[in-house]
Amino acid sequence: MIAIIALLLALQAAPELKVHVDAGLKAKSAGDLDAAIREFQRVVELAPGMAAAHVNLGAVYYEKKDYSRAIPSLRKALELNPNLPGAHGMLGVALLAQGYASESIPHLEEAKADDVLGVALLEAGRAREAIDKLEAALEKQPDNPDLLYYLSQAHARLAKQAFDVLSERSPASARTRQMLGESRAASGNREAAEKDFRAALAMRPDLRGVHFALGEMYLGSGDYENAEREFRQEAQLAPGSASAAFKLGVVLMNRGEVRSGLAELQRANALQPDMPETLLELGKASAAAGEVALAEKLFLRTIELEQASSLAESAHFQLAQLYRRLGRPVDSDRETKLFQEIRKSRK
Amino acid sequence: MGGGVALLDYNNDGLLDIFLVNGGKLDDPAKLPANFSRRDPAYWNRLYRQNRDGSFTDVTAAAGLADAGNNYGMGVAVGDYNNDGFADLYVTNYGRNTLYRNNGNGTFTDVTAEAGVGAGGWSASAGFFDYDNDGRLDLFVTRYLDWDIGRNILCGTPFHAYCRPDKFGPVTNILFHNEGGGKFRDVSAESGIAAVKGKALGVAFNDYDGDGFADIFVANDGMEQFLFHNKGDGTFEERALETGVALSDDGKSYAGMGAVFADYDNDGLPDIVVTNLALEKYALYRNEGGGQFRYASLTTGLAALTAHSSGWGVGLFDFDNRGWKDLFVAQSHVLDNVEKIHSGLRYLEPPAMFRNVAGKFEQSSLAGLPPVAGRGAAFGDIDNDGYMDAVVSVLGGRPLVILNRGGKNHWLTLKLVGVHSNRDGMGAKIQIGKQWVYATTSGSYLSASDGQVHFGLGSDKEATVEIIWPSGTKQVLEKIAADRIVTVKEPE
Repeated sequence: MIAIIALLLALQAAPELKVHVDAGLKAKSAGDLDAAIREFQRVVELAPGMAAAHVNLGAVYYEKKDYSRAIPSLRKALELNPNLPGAHGMLGVALLAQGYASESIPHLEEAKADDVLGVALLEAGRAREAIDKLEAALEKQPDNPDLLYYLSQAHARLAKQAFDVLSERSPASARTRQMLGESRAASGNREAAEKDFRAALAMRPDLRGVHFALGEMYLGSGDYENAEREFRQEAQLAPGSASAAFKLGVVLMNRGEVRSGLAELQRANALQPDMPETLLELGKASAAAGEVALAEKLFLRTIELEQASSLAESAHFQLAQLYRRLGRPVDSDRETKLFQEIRKSRK
Repeated sequence: MGGGVALLDYNNDGLLDIFLVNGGKLDDPAKLPANFSRRDPAYWNRLYRQNRDGSFTDVTAAAGLADAGNNYGMGVAVGDYNNDGFADLYVTNYGRNTLYRNNGNGTFTDVTAEAGVGAGGWSASAGFFDYDNDGRLDLFVTRYLDWDIGRNILCGTPFHAYCRPDKFGPVTNILFHNEGGGKFRDVSAESGIAAVKGKALGVAFNDYDGDGFADIFVANDGMEQFLFHNKGDGTFEERALETGVALSDDGKSYAGMGAVFADYDNDGLPDIVVTNLALEKYALYRNEGGGQFRYASLTTGLAALTAHSSGWGVGLFDFDNRGWKDLFVAQSHVLDNVEKIHSGLRYLEPPAMFRNVAGKFEQSSLAGLPPVAGRGAAFGDIDNDGYMDAVVSVLGGRPLVILNRGGKNHWLTLKLVGVHSNRDGMGAKIQIGKQWVYATTSGSYLSASDGQVHFGLGSDKEATVEIIWPSGTKQVLEKIAADRIVTVKEPE
């Protein structure tokens, strides 16, 4: 705004300027950016001490994504008049686009552009501050995939920084091996992960989470015997862990241990009530144990919570089976239809 | 794919012979139509005649089975379609299938054209059965995918892999009615079989609702399974979802490959086992009566035993003659690079034997068997010692002939001779005590087993045998001495 007022004052003083400014603005709005550049360059020649002239030229280069030319014009404008937030914003973005993240930060701060500032902070290695800015930007644009991506990157970078510190200061510690194991398990390197987890447990047998991670790995390859052993040990270490009780229950059911599986799933539900995954598995376990009324209630609750998710799909399927066994074909057909509808919509 | 194997006594000498279906080699994938080099002896199907000393002789050329055409070989079905007392062969292919009539003198003749059973597309498992109880064996042919070599696509990132079946369209299965006189008629549409399209690999027959008509279970890959209920009027209705055999216990589809349709828990009701891929757990559906099945893989222990394995050929037979049918599975993952994709899984696996202990399955040792790329599996008593043996086909390797060392339990094997029913009594239901066996050569994956009916008798030295023939005739044989093969002729 200030630049525009200054420009208007200058236009009153020099009529030729007005001709070129008008032509530049017209060309710019017509999308003829090269013509606009020619006109605004002439304005800069006529009024080199006028910040607005440099802003206009820089803005056209910016629009053209010619950041290397936009940067000097915008810098010159801000040198002449530092109170131009728009120029700061454009300069910040231009600098960031050219890889000068640190230099872009003060300009983006002046422009109060939280979204781009978050990215600049992240690229400058200031992940913690980046998270604050990205979260602030996400409050205004909660579904913006770019912001969500950079936020996850910022968290990952912080996690890596913490891991680097951990492995540097305590390279042989149980926690380092646990962390290595988790990283290797995530990348599919099961054998190395298992070695790390075992090493961690050898040092600290009471370490929480390691047995759970091992159990997940075994469960993921269909090794229920070893998975049961690990989840059972995790459940002993952390009797208040609903996750450990849930996984142990699932594995026991898969091993055909209906009564003990049911007990663990009931325990998981008591520790963390109303979790849809637990309700569904508990329903299946109850049905297998012959507790059909309870099973029906649990499946219905799962559907109530989940609506049209894969869990709801499965719950409708379970209900259809249950009703058919109970001799309620109309109810079974209805649930089968609902199951098929969700299944079709999810394909 | 591929890997069909059959155990049959083609020359009626009382010794089981082995027929193996070979695949083929594609020299030029870009050249259409595809030529799989089946005229090269390296890619012939093979017939091995068993000699008196237990060895085998390759009689492929002498039997007239040398030239397999140029289609890629898949599976084999065995049945005496013309009721002449000699087992005939039906070979499925990617491309035209072939019916070989057994001439009764050790040779076979390709009668596909005159019989009208060439089919086409990509056939997989097939089976002979008499769906209308007219005394002639009909033919059911499963077909896999709507695929041809000109429309091939590549899948897998970063490691090349077979494309998932959902990348291709489904196709109909085919039902051929045996019209007599060596001719068949395609009744797929009028029977209702073609009303649904699938991605079929396995097929098995039994009468799940006890109405006297053979029903059809079809194992589909990556979609719901099919159960065709035989309505007894020449038509079928697909009822897998309604009966509870379409999906897993979570309502998920899986990679159905092999199938067996037999009574595992001695309650007289035929159950269904379907083999599938690792992490899916082989599916066992217990027949609860009233036309309803219940997923029983978890409660029988089968899920825990099979969650990390991939199964193909499958058989439910009483391998230790204790009176309960045990489960044998030929195994191997479908991807030969699965270790790179999931380091917890293995491509090569040894065949598995799961011992049936009063309806629960336990791991049983098959000591000394190597991990192989097992596919087809056929079953029968190769050495006539009263204990069921198995032959497993191996992709890119020699087949495994697995002889059961047996034990001290007693046994009884019945060779059925139909009169009003089809000549081999396929579809007969035989009961000894609480055990029921359905006479069939079908089931497994791409394979055909010996059609004789085997029972383990435990410590019993004799048995009372009750037979319900497909014609409806009931026959009771009292106090039959154990440990022998008995020929039973259907009453006139």
